[in-house]
Amino acid sequence: MAAQDLVWLGVAAGLVGLGVYGVLVAGHLLRKLLALNLLGTAVFLLMVVLGRRGAATPDPVSQAMVLTGIVVAVSATAFGLALMLALYRRSGEAALDDEAGAPDGDGRD
Amino acid sequence: MMLLAFDLLLAAGLLGLAVLVVAGPTLFVSLVAYTVFGLLMAVAWARLGAPDLALAEAAIGAGLTGAMLMLSYRRLLAIRPERTGQRLVRRSRLALPIALACTVLSAGLFMALAGLPEPQRSAGGDALAATAQSEVGNPVTAVLLLFRGYDTLLELLVLLVAWLGVAMVQAQARPSAPRPPAPVPLLDALLAAVVPGTVLVGGYLLHAGGQAPGGAFQAGAVLAAAGVLMALAGRLQPRARATPVQAGLLVLGLLVFTAAGLWPLAAGQPLLALDGLATVYAVEAAMTVSIALGLCLLFLGAAGLGSK
Amino acid sequence: MAATELLPLWVLVPLLAAALAACLPARRAGQLALAVQLAALASWPLLAAAFADRGPLTVSLAGLAPPLAIRLYLDGIGLLLLGLVATVTTAASLHALATPGRAALRPAFWPAWLVLLAGLHTVVLSFDLFNMYVGLELLTLAAVALVASAGTVAALAAAMRYLLLAMLGSLAWLAGVAMIHAGTGSLDLELAGAALAPGGWVSVALALMLAGLLLKAAVFPLHGWLPLAHGAAPGAVSAVLSALVVKAALLLVWRVQLWLGPAGGADAAGPLLAALGGAAILWGSLSAYRQDRLKQVVAFSTVAQLGYLLLVLAMPSAVAWQGTTLHLLAHGLAKAAMFLAAANLVRRAGDPRLAALAGSDAAAPVSVFAFALAGVSLVGLPPSGGFLAKWLLLQGAWQAGAWWLVALLLAGSLLAAAYLFRTLAALLAHRDGAGQARAGLPVPRIAELAALALALGAIVLGFAAAPILDLAALPAGPGGAP
Repeated sequence: MAAQDLVWLGVAAGLVGLGVYGVLVAGHLLRKLLALNLLGTAVFLLMVVLGRRGAATPDPVSQAMVLTGIVVAVSATAFGLALMLALYRRSGEAALDDEAGAPDGDGRD
Repeated sequence: MMLLAFDLLLAAGLLGLAVLVVAGPTLFVSLVAYTVFGLLMAVAWARLGAPDLALAEAAIGAGLTGAMLMLSYRRLLAIRPERTGQRLVRRSRLALPIALACTVLSAGLFMALAGLPEPQRSAGGDALAATAQSEVGNPVTAVLLLFRGYDTLLELLVLLVAWLGVAMVQAQARPSAPRPPAPVPLLDALLAAVVPGTVLVGGYLLHAGGQAPGGAFQAGAVLAAAGVLMALAGRLQPRARATPVQAGLLVLGLLVFTAAGLWPLAAGQPLLALDGLATVYAVEAAMTVSIALGLCLLFLGAAGLGSK
Repeated sequence: MAATELLPLWVLVPLLAAALAACLPARRAGQLALAVQLAALASWPLLAAAFADRGPLTVSLAGLAPPLAIRLYLDGIGLLLLGLVATVTTAASLHALATPGRAALRPAFWPAWLVLLAGLHTVVLSFDLFNMYVGLELLTLAAVALVASAGTVAALAAAMRYLLLAMLGSLAWLAGVAMIHAGTGSLDLELAGAALAPGGWVSVALALMLAGLLLKAAVFPLHGWLPLAHGAAPGAVSAVLSALVVKAALLLVWRVQLWLGPAGGADAAGPLLAALGGAAILWGSLSAYRQDRLKQVVAFSTVAQLGYLLLVLAMPSAVAWQGTTLHLLAHGLAKAAMFLAAANLVRRAGDPRLAALAGSDAAAPVSVFAFALAGVSLVGLPPSGGFLAKWLLLQGAWQAGAWWLVALLLAGSLLAAAYLFRTLAALLAHRDGAGQARAGLPVPRIAELAALALALGAIVLGFAAAPILDLAALPAGPGGAP
C-alpha cells in the first residue's frame, strides 16, 4: 500500500478512537454529538481511502456510500440537537444521568 | 515527497483538532475546533481525489453542521442565561480506562486496515464499466441513481424521518418565539447578492452532476445554505408546523423517485430501473428540492429557530 | 413473477404511505397507517404461498446483477418476521388509535410510525450490507422519534440516550461494512461471504459489525438504554419496539454469523454471543424482579428474553433453530400484548407504580387476563408458543450436550415465573382503604381487545406450530446447514 494511503488510514483509525472516547466520556450532550460526527468522518475517510487503493479511478460505490452517509449523519445530528434543546428547556440538564431508572413519568400517553 | 509532507501536515492538524474537539477545555473551543476540522477535511477529500465528497463535505459537513452546532450552543446559553459562566465539562472516573481501550481500538483497527487484501473484482469496477455504457457520465451519480437507487430512495426517507423527529420534539418545547432580528441594510445588500448566486451555483451543480462532480446532494446543500442565510437574517419566518406546501415539497423527491421506480413495472421492466437521462434529471431535480428544504428545516430545528 | 417481482413493494408501499402521511392531518394519517398494515396482513398469505412453491427468494433490483445491484432476500425466518410485523403493528396501531392521548395526535407520530414499518421491512428483506445500514438508521430515527412522542422529560432523556448509542452502533456497523466491501469488492451478503478468506482483518471487521448490532439489540451488557426507552415510550410504541425493533438487529446478528462468520471465527464467536445471551437472561430477569413500576418490569423482561435468541449460536442444530424462531414469534406476540395491557392498566389506575395497581382485576379484567396469558407464554408454561419454543431449545441443548445451556434455560423459566407471579400478585392484590380514588381514565374496549388478541396469538402458537416449524427448519445460511 502506498505511504500516502497508510497515512490516511492512520488518521481514520486515530479518529475512530478519539470519536469513541468522546462519545463515552464527554459529559455534555453537545460534545457527545461532536464526537459522533468525528467518528462518522473517520468512517467515511476509511471508506474513501480503501476505495482508492491502487486504482486509477476512485471507487464510485464507496463515494456514493459516503455521500449517503454524510446526509444520514447531518440528519441524525440535527435531530440530536433538537432533542438536546427540548430536553434542556424542560429539565435544565444537558447531560444524561448515568443512573438507571426514570425519575418521573412513565410514558402514559 | 512534497505531497506526502503536505499530507502528513494535514493529518497532524486533523488529529490535533480532533483531540481539542473531544477534550477541549470548554465547549466553545471544541465547537471552533470542529468547524476548522470540517474545513481541513474538505481539503483532505480534494487531496484524496474525491471532488464530489469535497463539495458535499464543504457544504454539509463543515458548513451546515458547523453552523448548526454553533447556533444550537448559543440557544443553550439563551435558554438559561444564568448558567452562561458555568463550566459545562464533566470528567468521568472511567476516562483513563476508556482512553486506553480506545487506543487499543485505534491500533487494532489500523493493523486490520493495513492488512486488507485487494479484491480481483469489485462492485466499484463493475460500476465504472456500467457507467461507460450508460448516458450518465459521472459514475457517482450513476451509482446513486441507477445502480443503488434503492439506497438513495431510503436515504430521502431518513431525511424525512429526521425532520419528523425534530418536529416531534419542537412541538413539545413551547419556547418563547425568538424575535426576528432587526433589518440591517448591509446584510440585505449582501443577501441580495449571495442568494441569487447560490441558486445559480445550486442549479449548476444539479445540471453538472450528470457528467461532472456535483448532483442532487451538493445542489440541495448549497440551496439549503441560501435558505438558512435568509432565515438567519429574518427574511424567512420559520414556523412550528410545516405548511401543506412545505410538507408537499419535502416529500416531492420521495414521490417522484418512487413513481419513476415503479413506472418500469407497468412496462414489464424491473423495478427501480430508471429509464433514460430525462428521468434521471427529473428525479434529481425533485430530490434537490426535497433535500434543500429538508436540510433547511432540520437546520432551523436544530438551531432552535423553528419553534414558535 | 408476482411474488418475486413485487417483493420490493413491501418497502416501497410503507415508504410512499409515510410520505403521504406527512402531508395529512394526524387522524387521517393514522387511518392510512392502519390501512397499509391491513394490506400487509392480507397479502402475507400470498407471499407465504409463493414461498412454499419456490423456497427462499432473491430479487435483484434495477435489473442488474450483483455485486453492482442491491438484492433483496426472503427466507423462512424473514417470511415469519414479516407476518409478525404485520400482526403486531396492526394490533398496536389499533390500540394507539383507540386510546385518546397526546402522543398519537402529534402530526409527526403516524408518519414516523410508517417509516418504522418501512425500516423493519427494509432490514428483514435486505441482502446488502450497506442497505442494512440505511435500514437500521431508518428504524433507529423513527424509533427515537416515537419514544420522544410521549412528551415527558423521562421520555426525552431516554430518546436522547437511545439516539446517541444507536448512532454509535450504526457507525461501528458501517466501519465493519466498509472493510468487508474493500476486502471482498462486494456488499452482497452471499458474494462477500464467498470471497472472504480467513484473516485477522475479517475478525476485526465482524467484531465491529457485531458490536454495533449488539448495542442496537440491547444485548447484555449493552442493554442500559432499553428499559429507559421502552419504559418511557407510549404503550403502543413500547409494544412495537420490544416485539419487533430489537429483533431486527438480532436478525442481522444471525445473518452475519451465518453468511460471513465462517471466515471470521464464527466458531469462537458463537459460544461467546451465547454466553452474553445467558448473562442477559439472568441479569434481565433479576432486574425485572426488582422493579417497582409495571412497564419497567416488562421492559427488563425484554432484556432477558432477547438472551434466548442468542443461545442457538452455541448449538446450531435444526431443532435449536426451530425453537429460536418460535421463541422470536411467541415473545413478539406475548411482549406486545403485555405492553399494551400494561399501558391499559396504568391508564386505568392513573399511576405507573405496581403498588398502586392493586385491584386492577376488578377495574380492567380483560387487560389483566391478557397480561396473565402473555405471562404464561413468556414463562414457558404449556400449552403456549413459549412452552414449545423452550422445549425445542432444551432438546437442542440436550442433543448438543451443552449442560450449561440446559441449566440456563431452566433457571430462566424459573426466574421469569418469579418476576411475573410477583407482578400478577401485585395486580390482583386486594385493594384496601377508600380515598384511593385515582385520576384514572377509562380504557377503550378496542385497546383491551388488541392486547387480548396478541396474547391469545402467543398461546395458539403452541397448537398451530407445525407449519411454522417447517419454515424454521429451512436452511438459514449458505451451504445448506442452518
